[in-house]
Amino acid sequence: MDIKELFAKQEEMKQKNLNAKNEKESEITKVLTFFIGDQVYGIEIPCVIEIIGVPHITVVPGIPYYIKGIINVRSKVVPVIDMRSRFGKEEKEYNERTNTIIIEESGVTVGVIVDEVIGVLPVYQKNIANSPDRIGVNDNKFIKYLLEMQDGIKLVLDVAKLIYDGEMFLGDE
Amino acid sequence: MIYKSFYYIYSLRLRARRGRKGNDMAKVEPGMEAMIDTYIFETTTLLEQLDEILLRTEKANEFTEEDINEIFRIMHTVKGSSAMMGFENLQRLAHKGEDMFFIIREAPEKMTDVGFVYDLVFQMSDLFKAEIDMIQNDDDYEATDFSEMIAKLEKGAKMLKGELDSADASDAAAPEAAGAAPASAVPADIAPDCTTVRVFFEDGCKMENIRAFMLINNVKELVDDVEIVKYIPEDIESNQDSANVIIDNGFLLSFRAPDVKAVLSAIEGSLNVQSYEIIDNTAEAPAEAEKAPEAAPAAAAAPAAEAAPAQTAAPKPASKPADKPKSNEQKAPASGGGKQSLISVNLQKLDQLHDIVGEIITTESMVISNPELEGLRLESFTKSARELRKLTDELQDTVMSIRMVPLTGPFQKMNRIVRDMKVKLNKDVELVIEGDTTEVDKSIVDNLNDPLMHLVRNAVDHGIENTSEERIAQGKPGRGTVKLSAMSSSGEVVITISDDGQGIDTEKVISKAERNGLLTKPASEYTEREIQNMILLPGFSTNDVVTEYSGRGVGMDVVKSNLSKMGGSLTVESKKGEGTSFIIKIPLTLAIVDGMEIMVGDAEFTVPISVIKESFIVKHDQILNDTRRGEMIMIRGVCYPMLRLNEKFGLPSDVNDIEDGIVLLIESENRGICLFADKLIGEQQVVVKPFPKYLSQYDIKGQGLSGCTIMGDGSISLIIDVNTLIGSR
Repeated sequence: MDIKELFAKQEEMKQKNLNAKNEKESEITKVLTFFIGDQVYGIEIPCVIEIIGVPHITVVPGIPYYIKGIINVRSKVVPVIDMRSRFGKEEKEYNERTNTIIIEESGVTVGVIVDEVIGVLPVYQKNIANSPDRIGVNDNKFIKYLLEMQDGIKLVLDVAKLIYDGEMFLGDE
Repeated sequence: MIYKSFYYIYSLRLRARRGRKGNDMAKVEPGMEAMIDTYIFETTTLLEQLDEILLRTEKANEFTEEDINEIFRIMHTVKGSSAMMGFENLQRLAHKGEDMFFIIREAPEKMTDVGFVYDLVFQMSDLFKAEIDMIQNDDDYEATDFSEMIAKLEKGAKMLKGELDSADASDAAAPEAAGAAPASAVPADIAPDCTTVRVFFEDGCKMENIRAFMLINNVKELVDDVEIVKYIPEDIESNQDSANVIIDNGFLLSFRAPDVKAVLSAIEGSLNVQSYEIIDNTAEAPAEAEKAPEAAPAAAAAPAAEAAPAQTAAPKPASKPADKPKSNEQKAPASGGGKQSLISVNLQKLDQLHDIVGEIITTESMVISNPELEGLRLESFTKSARELRKLTDELQDTVMSIRMVPLTGPFQKMNRIVRDMKVKLNKDVELVIEGDTTEVDKSIVDNLNDPLMHLVRNAVDHGIENTSEERIAQGKPGRGTVKLSAMSSSGEVVITISDDGQGIDTEKVISKAERNGLLTKPASEYTEREIQNMILLPGFSTNDVVTEYSGRGVGMDVVKSNLSKMGGSLTVESKKGEGTSFIIKIPLTLAIVDGMEIMVGDAEFTVPISVIKESFIVKHDQILNDTRRGEMIMIRGVCYPMLRLNEKFGLPSDVNDIEDGIVLLIESENRGICLFADKLIGEQQVVVKPFPKYLSQYDIKGQGLSGCTIMGDGSISLIIDVNTLIGSR
C-alpha cells in the first residue's frame, strides 16, 4: 500500500467535506419551533424527548417562580419551567394549545411550557444568522443562533444554557 | 512476626486442602469462595478507574489533589480487599504502590515532572489485572511472586524521595527497555522530506486509538510544522473502531522534524509502544527499535521476523499469535463454561423495569376503573380484572425485591476482617452484629462495603485498647467489643459501628489538626463535638505509626466520600475511656415507606407513619398563642408547637379554621410537633423517589421535604422530612 497515496486520498475527502460546507447546502440539524407570545423560538431536535400537553403540576416549595413544579412523565419525575415567566413575560393561563416540551441535556431532563408548538424545521448553514455581539448577553443569553427564514426570524434556544443558566449546578449523580 | 506466622499457617492449610480436594477452588480460604466473584468484580472496576485517572492526567500533564486522593483511595481499597481474601502478594503490591503515592501526595508536582512514575504504576496495574485474571480463570492458581515489581516500586519511591540520583532514575523507569536499540542507530538523514513511521502498541493494552492520540501530542511538540504531522487512521479521536485498525495495521505517522532522532526516541519512550519501524517509500530500510512488553518477554524475538514483511498486507505483530500469557489463553474456555453464579445488572435497567411496572399499574387502574364501564354488568371482565391485579401486584413485589437486599452480606464480611486483625494485632476483640436483616436498596449495599470496612478496621485498630491489661485496669472486660448494628428509621437506614475502647482523645486530635493546618478558628473555640468530627477530614490520622490497617488518614476520607455519594452522612460520638460510635445515616433512595396521605390545598403530601403519634381535631380553646403569635397546643401536659402546612409551603387552602382541618402529632428524635393539614386521605405504601437532578441546586430538603412519590393515579405526592420540619420551627 502506498502511504503517499493514502494521505492524498484522505486530503481529498477532507476537501470535499469542506466544499460541501462552503456551499451552505447541507442540512445541519432540525429544530422544533414553537410560539412564546408572538415570537417563534426553536429547540434543536436532538434535545427533544417528547411533546405533551400540560399535565397536573405538583407545586414544590423553595424553587424559583418560573419553575412551576414537578410532573409525572411516564413514571419519571420531571421539573417544568414556564417559558413565559422564564423570559420575563406576563404569565398566561394554560389552554388546550399550551404544550410541554420534554427536553434532555447531559442527563438532566426538564419540561418547558410553551404557548404553542408549530412544527419541525430543517436548518441549513445558509439560514443561520449569527450576530455575536448581541447573542449571549443579558436577555439573549439563552439564544444559540438566529434562523432567517422566509416567514421571519426564529430564535433557536441554547438548551444547555437554559438548563444550567450559569448558576452553580450541583447535580452530581 | 505475628503477621508472617499467620500467613505461614494459612499457606500450610491451603496446601493441605489442595492435596485433599485436588482441582477444587483452593485459591481462597474456606468460606470465602462465595465472595470471590464480588472481589474480582470490585477490584477490576477499581483498576479500570485507576487507569482512567492515570491516562487522563498524563494526557493533561496535570495532577490535582483530588486525583491523588482518588488514586490513594483506590489503592487502599484494593489493598484491603486483597488482604481480606488472603491474596498476600496482591496486598503487598498494592501496599508498595500506596507507599509511592504517599510520597507523591506530599509533592504532587513530582508526578508530572518524573515520568517514570506513570510507567511504574501502569506496570503495576497490568500485573494486578493479569493476576486477577488468573485467579478468575485458573483452576490451579498459584500466587505469583511480585518481588521484582515490588523492588522496582521501592526503588521508585526512594527516588521520589530524592535518595538516589537521577541517573538511576532512568534505569528504574524503563527497566524493560534495557534491550531497546539506541536511538542513534536510526539513520537521521533517511528522509529528506517526511519521515513515516509505523507504530505498534503492546498487545492487549486497550484503547490503542487514545494511546495513538497521546503519541501524536508528544510528537507535535517536537516537529517544526504541526500541520505536516499526518497519521492513519485519522479518526482516532472520535472513532472507537480505529483501535482495531491500529491493532491490525499499526499506526502510521508521518512528520517532518528538525531533529528526527528526538522524535523517534519520543515515540520509543511513549507509553505502551511495543515497536516501531521507519517506512521509506523509496528504499526499504526499516530501522528497528523495540521495547519488550513485560507481559511477554519472549516477544523480544518478534521484531526481526516482522521487519521484512511489514510492508505487505496488514501484518500483525509477530508476537501476537504466540507467546501469550497463559492467563489469556485460558480466558475463553473459562468464560464460556458458564461458571459464574452472579450476574451484575446495570441498576439503570432495574430502574427502567421498576418504572415500567409502575406505569403498568397506573394504566391498569385506568382501564379497570374506566368511567365508560360504569353501570355495566361485566361479570367475566371483573373476574379477569381481578386476576390481572393479582399478577401485577406480584410483579411489583418481585421487582421491588430484586433491588432490596439485606445487609447480611456486607456485615458478614466484617467478621473476616475482625478475625484477621485480631490475630495480626494480637488484640482480643469480638464483633457483635445486630439487625443485619435490615433490607436496603442494592445500590446502597454496593457502596457500603468500603465505608464499613474502614470503620470496622478503625474501631479495632484505633478504638480498642492495645492490651487486655489496659482494659482490665480501667474496669472493662478484657475482651473488647465492636458492635455493628443497623435499623431503619423514618426513611433512613441508620448503621452504627461502636466500640467500647479508649474513645477519642480530643486534645491529641486538636493538636494534630493544628499541626496539619486544619483549624479555621482558635483551638479554644472548638466544641468537643466539633473536635471529634475533625477526624473525618481528609488526610487526618491520630495514629503516628502507619500500619497495614490504618494511620494514613485515608480511611475516613473514603468513608465520607462514599457516603456522600449516596446522600448519606457520618457523625462521631465518643466519650473518652468509654468508646466511640460512628453513625452512618443513609436516605433510602428507593425505599418503600408506609405513609399517611394528607391534603393541603391542591397538594398531596406523605407523612411517614412511623413518626405519627396520633391525629385529631382540635377546638379553638385548646390553642395557645405564644409571644411571637405562634400557635401551640397542650396534649397530656406537654406543649407542642403547631405548624400550619399551608402557610409553611405557601399553598392556598380553603381550610383555614383550625376546627375544620386535622392535626397530626408527629415525633422524631424525642422532639414533637403538630402539623395542621386540610384532611387525611389514608394510608399507603409509597416508593420514595429523589427530587429530579435539576432541582438539586435549590434547597428543597431545607424546606422539610425529603423526596417525592408517584401515586397510583399518576399524581405526585411530596414526602415530608419530619426532622427538618421540627428543626425549622
